[in-house]
Amino acid sequence: MAALLRGLRAGRALRGLGSVVAAPTATKPQCSSLRRGFHRAAQRLQDESKSDKPPSSSSSSSSTTYHEHYQAHSAHQDTATASQEHSASDPASEEASGPNTSYQDQGGEQGEEYETEEQLQARILTSALEFVPQHGWSLEAIAAGAETLGLSSASTGMFNNGAGDLVLHFIADCNSQLTEILAEQHKQVQLGQAEPKKTADFLRDAVETRLRMHIPYIESWPQAMSILLLPHNIPDSLKHLSTLVDDIWYYAGDRSTDMNWYTKRAALTGIYNTTELVMVQDSSPDFQDTWNFLDNRIQDVVNMATTAKQVQSTGEAVVQGLMGAAVTLKNLTGINQRR
Amino acid sequence: MAASVRLLLRLSHRNINVAAAGGSARPGCCWGPTGPSSCRCFSDATGDRSTHFGFETVPETEKAKRVYKVFENVAQKYDVMNDAMSLGIHRVWKDMLLRAMHPQPGVRLLDVAGGTGDIAFRFLEYVQSQQERQKRRAARSTQTPSWQDISTNYSTEDEDGPQESKAVVCDINKEMLKVGKQKADSMGISAAGLSWVVGDAEELPFDDDQFDIYTIAFGIRNVTHIDQALQEALRVLKPGGRFMCLEFSKVTNPVLARLYDTYSFQMIPVLGEVIAGDWKSYQYLVESIRKFPDQEEFKGMIEDAGFYCVHYHNLTGGVVALHSGFKL
Repeated sequence: MAALLRGLRAGRALRGLGSVVAAPTATKPQCSSLRRGFHRAAQRLQDESKSDKPPSSSSSSSSTTYHEHYQAHSAHQDTATASQEHSASDPASEEASGPNTSYQDQGGEQGEEYETEEQLQARILTSALEFVPQHGWSLEAIAAGAETLGLSSASTGMFNNGAGDLVLHFIADCNSQLTEILAEQHKQVQLGQAEPKKTADFLRDAVETRLRMHIPYIESWPQAMSILLLPHNIPDSLKHLSTLVDDIWYYAGDRSTDMNWYTKRAALTGIYNTTELVMVQDSSPDFQDTWNFLDNRIQDVVNMATTAKQVQSTGEAVVQGLMGAAVTLKNLTGINQRR
Repeated sequence: MAASVRLLLRLSHRNINVAAAGGSARPGCCWGPTGPSSCRCFSDATGDRSTHFGFETVPETEKAKRVYKVFENVAQKYDVMNDAMSLGIHRVWKDMLLRAMHPQPGVRLLDVAGGTGDIAFRFLEYVQSQQERQKRRAARSTQTPSWQDISTNYSTEDEDGPQESKAVVCDINKEMLKVGKQKADSMGISAAGLSWVVGDAEELPFDDDQFDIYTIAFGIRNVTHIDQALQEALRVLKPGGRFMCLEFSKVTNPVLARLYDTYSFQMIPVLGEVIAGDWKSYQYLVESIRKFPDQEEFKGMIEDAGFYCVHYHNLTGGVVALHSGFKL
């Protein structure tokens, strides 16, 4: 049985038959083949991250969710399918730690393939980032990144947008890192382990943390910014910017549902963009000028908010005073008399 | 059982239509092309395999021979005929293939059914211009090179730099390769980085994981077993390698389709007779275009062979389709 499965998996042309043939043999054919597929994907992902051959599935220290899922389910299976899985896992690990990093031979599990394609693209782009200082934000950097993963540089053809894909991937990555940091801080505050910050301080720290992620690429950042301004990239870059600003305000505690929602986000967008521009031409040690600029802009916004409130209350007071003066005048001149 | 009955009906239907269309130069487009796979399944049941050669049905073993004869006859006038038939647009198609490919310096190209070498020449020119641009960029950044740098630049000018791009042209037909070599010599393209190999697309004479890019331009419809050719492509490509196929396909616009059909069946064989002295070969050409699967079907075949991220672009309204897939 295991040999038959091994033979089936070895034949690429028999992809579609894999799930069909497995049906009469296992009690839950779809689930087991899917799990085997996930397990294989997990094994391969492990191989990419670690260079040495992974030990048997049960003792590996992988923390991928697919792998844990597999472990939990294998415990619940009946002995027949469990033994089948274990015997199948050995050839899978043999295949996975084979010489090629190809993702072929999936036995017809289409769902797993689409995930792996995007994950593979994400991995190529992440490894391309280390070549950005050398090649700039360009297809050459992506080609170099693909080569470090063992793929031919022809795989850059997958990225229709070229450098734009790389920049957008980096931005999305930074944004999700920032969201994680903010969520972590939020949890700390809720657990009572940290003091809640004032809004102005919170905003300053969030923007500073986010902009510090650009520091390794600050030499080529103007090129990245210009790529983001290309017309076909503007919708995506605006989307990323708006989600970033929204996340920062959400974790700052903003729950407004009126015009304030828009004004706050517009203000923070302005602050973020101008600070980014200052940072790009800043040559002070550790970008101190940039952080001072940021402080000043946030202070401006805060001042403007308080000034607006003051103006409003003063306005109301003035209006009341005028009304009073008018009534007094009317009394004096006798217009107000009742006839 | 029902499946074999269905295939039987389809094959008999086709035989009737072939007989009817035998007389007229313009066959009916009412029945869709059935791929070689269906007749192969049917033939397995009866024992001998047959496939299509244009609108004829021939045994599979004979198809390869007849295709060889066709290209042997047209080899000398192949390029002239291409220009005449497509009004020079085939150059644009091949340029667009190169633009989509965007080869990085140092990649190895395998051009199957490359014959007269059009794609390989364009590839080498593209890579050369890329490298020149890079050198210019590097020179601009180091505005005042030291004498050391200047001397090393002079010494390395003959080489292509640390990474050399190589193109291998593979064709089953020796005549086409001969014409290609003559063209290379007359164009003055350096023989370094260009190889000419005789080989069958269904059984390539190369090891596994050798090439970064595999292209087949206007050749795959002449292959007897297309899926075998696709599997060979998968085999010889490196992981991450790209498969690109330029081929005539189904025109989407019905008005354009009518014009295209009229032009194909009325003009092209005539041009063939006048320019190359060979009506039959060009009749085969336009018929084989009609027999080739359409864009979506071919995309499915490429995916079945094991390629990922398979996409296609229609050029000139669907007259030509550029399919691309990756070995991941």
